[in-house]
Amino acid sequence: MNEAKRKLLNKRYRAEANFKLFGQIAIGLALLFLAVFMYKIFSKGYTAFQKTWIVTEVHYDKELMLIETDNPSLEDLENADYYDIAYKAMTRLDPSLPEEDDRQLIQMVAFTYEQEVKNHLLKNPSLLGKIVPIRLTASDDLDQVHKGNYPRDIPEEDRRVNDYQLKIYDMLNERGDILSKFNLSFFTNPDSREAELAGIASSFMGTVFSILVCLAFSFPIAVLAAIYLEEFAPKNKFTDFIEVNINNLAAVPSIVFGLLGLGVLLAVFNLPRSTPLVGGITLSLMTLPTIIIAARASLKAVPPSIREAALAMGASNMQTTMHHTVPLSMPGTLSGTIIGLAQALGETAPLILIGMVAFVNTIPGTPVDPAASLPVQIYIWSESAERGFVEKVSACIMVLLGFLILMNLAAQIIRHKFERKWN
Amino acid sequence: MTKISAKNVNVFYGSKQALFDVSLDIMDKEVTALIGPSGCGKSTFLRCLNRMNDVIDICKVEGSIKMDELELNSRKLDVVRLRENVGMVFQKPNPFPKTIYENVSYGPTIHGMAQSKSELDQIVEMSLKKAALWEEVKDRLDEIGTGLSGGQQQRLCIARAISVSPEVILMDEPCSALDPIATAQIEELIDDLKKEHTIVIVTHSMSQAARVSQKTGFFHLGKLIEFGDTEKIFKNPDNQQTQDYITGRFG
Repeated sequence: MNEAKRKLLNKRYRAEANFKLFGQIAIGLALLFLAVFMYKIFSKGYTAFQKTWIVTEVHYDKELMLIETDNPSLEDLENADYYDIAYKAMTRLDPSLPEEDDRQLIQMVAFTYEQEVKNHLLKNPSLLGKIVPIRLTASDDLDQVHKGNYPRDIPEEDRRVNDYQLKIYDMLNERGDILSKFNLSFFTNPDSREAELAGIASSFMGTVFSILVCLAFSFPIAVLAAIYLEEFAPKNKFTDFIEVNINNLAAVPSIVFGLLGLGVLLAVFNLPRSTPLVGGITLSLMTLPTIIIAARASLKAVPPSIREAALAMGASNMQTTMHHTVPLSMPGTLSGTIIGLAQALGETAPLILIGMVAFVNTIPGTPVDPAASLPVQIYIWSESAERGFVEKVSACIMVLLGFLILMNLAAQIIRHKFERKWN
Repeated sequence: MTKISAKNVNVFYGSKQALFDVSLDIMDKEVTALIGPSGCGKSTFLRCLNRMNDVIDICKVEGSIKMDELELNSRKLDVVRLRENVGMVFQKPNPFPKTIYENVSYGPTIHGMAQSKSELDQIVEMSLKKAALWEEVKDRLDEIGTGLSGGQQQRLCIARAISVSPEVILMDEPCSALDPIATAQIEELIDDLKKEHTIVIVTHSMSQAARVSQKTGFFHLGKLIEFGDTEKIFKNPDNQQTQDYITGRFG
């Protein structure tokens, strides 16, 4: 081997080594970004799955509750006055506090404390007249203090929890009267202006309904369109034109579809605003081209030999398509559909335009009830100033990501399990 | 007796002419082999006989092809009925990715040939027996057809084709994807099938044509160069081109 040839060979080997190195660096960077992103979200968000309670005692005093009968029925209990006993339950934490400063104690629990006291009694009517321990949801500020997210060393006037409240908190904590448990209400509560009460139930249900509506509208239309275009339509300029436009449609920014939903679904058809029905239809405009493209690709992937075999047996075009081509293309179509839906799941802009950004503090039971959706909920909470919402944003992102991962996993499983390998 | 009679068949793919004035008669209950180099139009001619060219948009067929008294190259012809009567076996085995049973029962089912499940079972068994596959698969009819070996798959395709008792079976290089043993089995099968069916086979193997057929047609560049008794074509062809081809001087 002469010198020039060896040089050339070394150069080729070096080029390959460099190429591999760059590839590894690229993968490494991508993984690094992903890890940082995940770490940020998880380290911020995991505390949202814990909820803080203050344990105190409540005296179910008939007199203070304005109950006059001796044997009050459930209805009487329902109508009783809980304001005083709930108030007293809090003030008893520090009997030495002058009356005009009571608010400082009341601020330590969520504003629903009176309701919580009431629910507690309604669940156990036999407690009437007794003094029993009760746990009340701590205010979001105290919750953040307990989770260590709230700096205690900044000047008092800049803090939402003052020195007195911190003193009481420390006292309670020492006594073991601060409870920290799994935050079920994050999943069962609708949105709220109070971070300690805010949950994802309404946005989660809103997302589920939107996706179902989206699936119900886009899947049949897209699959039929794909089957027609691929198997029946004559191949001419017009169908080429349609194909180009479907591909263009897939690239249209989602906010444009939002405007379409606003202008047509709300303004012309007068569908109810802020509902998953409208959201789902708007999203289905977005997923439609994705599913059509996926379905056509998987129809195309069915080898022509199968069609020929069926046609040669005397099957009609329709029979060939329905008996053979479509069933064989279904796995690909389904995984394409799920990926399209997963895209729709994370869509925010079109939903904001059709009003799904409204503050919804009820849990929707049908697709025509007002609702938010998970990505919009993230957007709403991230706009909130309270410290308590920071962890909620991350927790909501975690739920959304979990949802997405599940859907993509389902798409993968369908693809691997059912998709046929043609050799 | 003549089964199929083609007269002046011209086929065009767009502006390209693939067949030029092909006329030939296919005899009933005989094997007719079509030979010739690649791209000579023999497969195109075969696909005219069950109108499979319809699948190709730009394909245009002119001339007359009569099967018995039926004009095949007519717009009015019901291709579904025609294909019930003219089965086809393709170059690459193409069983449906369904069970062996479903592969064979598909034709009888869509054409409503069986009144009951037992009748259908019978048709499936008969077809598989005729295709010399029954003994190998009778215990695993519910296995997927594509899981069989190449030769078995091709015999399954033959069973599928004969399940609707077609009068004519078209075979488009049925052995080109098979090993010699599987090829021998198929050839033996063709010999059996000609008792009940008229067979037209396109093949690249001249020895195969010589072994299985009674009549042979030699195609070259879209023209039928010579057509006649197989023995004559292979021993004493009239045409110099035929002579050159079968002796391996070109193609």
